[in-house]
Amino acid sequence: MDFDFSPEEQKFAEEVEAWLVENEDPVVMDHHRENFTQLSDTPERRAFMKKLAAKGWLGMSWPKEYGGQEIEGVYEFILNEALSKHAAPQIGKGVGIIGKTLIRHGSEFLKKKFLPLILDAEIEFAVGYSEPEAGSDAANMQLKAEKVDGGWMLNGQKMWTTSAHFADWYWVGARTDPEKPKHDGLSLFLVPMDHPGLEVQSLPTIGKDTTNQVFFNDVFVPDEYLVGQRGKGFQMISEALDLERFTMFTLSPIANRTEVLVDWVKKAKRDGEPLKDDPNVRRLIANIVTDTAVAKALSTRFVCAAKSGGKPPTVQSSQYKLFTTSLSQRVCKDALDIQGHEGTIMEGQDDAPLRGRFEGAYRATMNETVGGGSSEIQKNIIARRHLGLPKNF
Amino acid sequence: MDLELSEEQQMVIDMTRSMLEEYSTVDVVRVMEDDPKGYPDPLWKQMGELGLNGLLIPESYGGGGQTLLEGALVYEELGRAMAPVPHFVSCVMSANVLLAAGSDAQKQAWLPKIASGEAILTPAWLEPERGYGEAGVALEAKADGDGFVLTGRKRSVPYAGVATQLVVLARTKDGVDLFLVDPKAKGITSKQLLSQGREPHFQLDFAGVRVNASDRIGAPGSGWATWNDAMLQGIVLLAAQAIGGADRCLLETVAYSKERVQFDKPLGAFQALSHYMADASTRIDGGRVLVHEAAWNHAQGRSIARFAPMAKLFCCEAYRETTRVCAQIWGGVAFTIEYDQQMFFRRAKHLQLSWWDTPYLEGLIAADVLDG
Ligand SMILES: Cc1cc2nc3c(=O)[nH]c(=O)nc-3n(C[C@H](O)[C@H](O)[C@H](O)COP(=O)(O)OP(=O)(O)OC[C@H]3O[C@@H](n4cnc5c(N)ncnc54)[C@H](O)[C@@H]3O)c2cc1C
Repeated sequence: MDFDFSPEEQKFAEEVEAWLVENEDPVVMDHHRENFTQLSDTPERRAFMKKLAAKGWLGMSWPKEYGGQEIEGVYEFILNEALSKHAAPQIGKGVGIIGKTLIRHGSEFLKKKFLPLILDAEIEFAVGYSEPEAGSDAANMQLKAEKVDGGWMLNGQKMWTTSAHFADWYWVGARTDPEKPKHDGLSLFLVPMDHPGLEVQSLPTIGKDTTNQVFFNDVFVPDEYLVGQRGKGFQMISEALDLERFTMFTLSPIANRTEVLVDWVKKAKRDGEPLKDDPNVRRLIANIVTDTAVAKALSTRFVCAAKSGGKPPTVQSSQYKLFTTSLSQRVCKDALDIQGHEGTIMEGQDDAPLRGRFEGAYRATMNETVGGGSSEIQKNIIARRHLGLPKNF
Repeated sequence: MDLELSEEQQMVIDMTRSMLEEYSTVDVVRVMEDDPKGYPDPLWKQMGELGLNGLLIPESYGGGGQTLLEGALVYEELGRAMAPVPHFVSCVMSANVLLAAGSDAQKQAWLPKIASGEAILTPAWLEPERGYGEAGVALEAKADGDGFVLTGRKRSVPYAGVATQLVVLARTKDGVDLFLVDPKAKGITSKQLLSQGREPHFQLDFAGVRVNASDRIGAPGSGWATWNDAMLQGIVLLAAQAIGGADRCLLETVAYSKERVQFDKPLGAFQALSHYMADASTRIDGGRVLVHEAAWNHAQGRSIARFAPMAKLFCCEAYRETTRVCAQIWGGVAFTIEYDQQMFFRRAKHLQLSWWDTPYLEGLIAADVLDG
């Protein structure tokens, strides 16, 4: 048993940390963006990703023949935790989901076209699985893909495509075989985001950033842009989630909020007395700190399971996501309770405690227990795969 | 980073578990409830023979010299089996106090016997209307000639009925001090108070009990620091015990929920119930890693001033909450004495209130985080 990183891993973590401190830039790294810091959605943030690429930190776990270094996924975990700790954009969709799926299932044409762009941070993707009728039940996608001469004609609607308003390419699931059972009728496509048949409509949220709905009006996709085998879309989507455990939901933003809250409580006063001497505040802090340590323990658990290279650590990551997302919300709630009426002052104003960090985070974290597989879906997975209970829905 | 157990560690678990399955069956545990002696000889003998009593005691005193991590692995099994033994009071708390502060003579006299199981030592710590902290120790030890005279009342002294020696926390003019006291000494009267966990607990009255100066453990006034340090190690083991109890309670409940049918479905097919179990498993699996992390840190020579209270706080609450939802899943039968669920249910709350409770642990964590 060993709870420390190996000396090599530790060295890498220190190298990344030093580099991030050196490249500190408030325009790129802004904690107030909360969960949306992971996106590379502005010219400055894209330039930052190019610098990461130049360091050779994109695609580290990829095979050498595709420009990777074939090193353990844990290095990508270390990198992403460090990036998110600094509120910098993260490696994720491109290197993880799309890159790895193309490496395993893509044609030579798609690999040649996209993999170098991903490694050079020259491309941003949007991921389109969710639809009005396909949320938790992602396999229920209805976006129609009809076979036409030389390609496919896509019609229908996607919901919640987060990066659609700035991405270059769209990674889209669509129904190619409606007569087959729902899990076997889906295929994956790559579509340029500037296709004239795509209409992106912004969906503002109570977090800082917007997501989008996207309408497909006769979007023609040439045959070469169908990914892997026709009808294997859902299997590839699930497999990609299993391959991508290392860069899923990071802990650093939550650990960071806990730290920020503790530092603030140490200095704050109420009615002239140190706030930290209030017994209620002390109990809340003790429990937040403890549960943050448990979240880290659950993270260690799935990282170790993923490192062992056995079967995908589905249960471990479900437990981690379930526990950590609800903790994330509770830290924000408790922080506002500790701040009292001053907690209501909306984020971004200098007069608010911590410039309203927790007022904003309270809103921004609302969706964490829903997106990326809701808490209920995680519990279904744990109940069935870990405890062997019967299917319950 | 890796959470794999070594082959030796896995062997310790397997050996402990199979022994407990034979010697600490539910029937044995039930018979021992409220028993004034409180432990069965065959089980205690086996633990001694397998080296479990001396597990954490250095080899030079006849022990196994293992780290807190091996201790945690064993304690998860003791919790799983609800093993009725004076191991914690004797082989952990008393042994650690002696190891940390005892004189050579005291160590030589007691540690080998604790390691073999031949002697049982138990701390006399808590007092009526007083708390878990240093200020809670009020029993007076008044200097008198070449010794001390002890006067006051102790509560919840486990296994006092069979103890060879008591480790008494008392107040001297120097602060808190620890004394080795013969439980049969003149002036001590004892009475068993039944406890929620059905451990043999005693109330001890000290009416002018004489002890020699040489029975003080450690330098004058050093008692609380010694005790506090022993507690930090001890509660990591109790956190492991809580995880063991919770894990077994949950596994038995999962099995039951696959068999019991209502509305033509096994209970486990009701999502409301399966989600209770998924939540419980998450807390148990997370708590276990936290315990291992705390124990591992101690074995590396690092401070566990924050980890140890976090581990007991979280794991005892995980145990308590697990027994609550499991009782819900069993339905009415969980309330009956006949079913075993009530045994976990009572023990979980008992453990949470023993050896530093929730507010006290929260206080320790808050002090470490906020006042440093
Ligand atoms: C800001 C934001 C960004 C997003 N970004 C993307 C993106 O980039 N790409 C993308 O494809 N998707 C994205 N999503 C979609 C996200 O993945 C879905 O919101 C999520 O999968 C849940 O689907 P839903 O919102 O339709 O809720 P529903 O599936 O309708 O769920 C509603 C409620 O029912 C519960 N429920 C559903 N099924 C079960 C069940 N079997 N058992 C018990 N309870 C159940 C859920 O847990 C939830 O509480 C985003 C969503 C948001 C809000």
